[in-house]
Amino acid sequence: MQVNVKIKRFNPEQDNRPYWSEHNVEVSETDRILDVMNQIKWEEDGSFTYRRSCGHAICGSDAILLNGVNRLACRVLVKDIGSNINIEPIRGLPVIKDLIVDMEPFFDSYKAILPFFMNDDPEPTTERYQSVEDRAIFDDTTKCILCACCTTSCPIFWTNGQYLGPAAIVNAHRFIFDSRDQGTSERLGVLNQVNGLWRCRTAYNCTEACPRDIPITKAIEEVKRELLWRKA
Amino acid sequence: MYRGREGQWAFIFHRVSGLAILFYLLVHVAELAAAMWGPQYSNAILGFFHTPVFRLALLGIIAAVLYHALNGLRIIFMDFTGWGVKYQAKIWYGVFAVFLVIYIPVLIKILPEIFRGH
Repeated sequence: MQVNVKIKRFNPEQDNRPYWSEHNVEVSETDRILDVMNQIKWEEDGSFTYRRSCGHAICGSDAILLNGVNRLACRVLVKDIGSNINIEPIRGLPVIKDLIVDMEPFFDSYKAILPFFMNDDPEPTTERYQSVEDRAIFDDTTKCILCACCTTSCPIFWTNGQYLGPAAIVNAHRFIFDSRDQGTSERLGVLNQVNGLWRCRTAYNCTEACPRDIPITKAIEEVKRELLWRKA
Repeated sequence: MYRGREGQWAFIFHRVSGLAILFYLLVHVAELAAAMWGPQYSNAILGFFHTPVFRLALLGIIAAVLYHALNGLRIIFMDFTGWGVKYQAKIWYGVFAVFLVIYIPVLIKILPEIFRGH
């Protein structure tokens, strides 16, 4: 089928401001949007620049703003979109070139919430036991692939880049509700700061955008309640 | 425009209505404070605010307060219960239903009064 693809382009070496490039390409309706992008790059315009790696929605490289919503280019088929395809870089992070944004501020927020297991007890000789029920509490938030679809769909993050953002809070949730972890008060301390957890205004764009179907707003609200009741 | 769904619009309306209420309160307090210089000033300003344009805007403020209050309840459900997040979109439509039930009679009562000049 014939599709019309509009792409928001920016090359800092040539352009003062972003512009839209337009491409009419013949694709199969079962192609992924990533295939369409590859076809444009390989056959029409080699200067078109974007990140992609695994192509199977697990590396989290190819988050884009697709027809007004954040999606992974490798997880959406042409037939789900139709013949008009608008592609922009994700918002709120500085654009380096075309669809490539500077992810460092995003990863800084991720690092800020101490995304690693903390437990100072002497290591047991067997495994650190965790019941199935305790594991289930944070099962959803283990699935994050750090693609930034959520954080860059957040209206608060667009206007305040200092906000930690949903992805960081999701990863904090993963450890806060882990019965084996002991770093909860440290993490809640980070989240309780001015640009932390309380910036969330529950716009639900993150939950809609997540390609891993993590109920993000639910997780954020759980962390809010945890922080509230601990402090109370 | 990002094509967000119910939650995004609930948030945007909540923010805009909140700012409208804040702006109204500032104007309201300024108008009351004018009485410090004597009734001739405060009455003149009050007369200015009683023109139909401002009275229609006041209907907008009533709408803003009503929405802000009802959606505030929705936010309380989301923040303090385990089920609020799950049903937030449905609750938002409920917010609009209750809004209309209260606001339409308000319009029926007040609009004719404004145009009759009471």
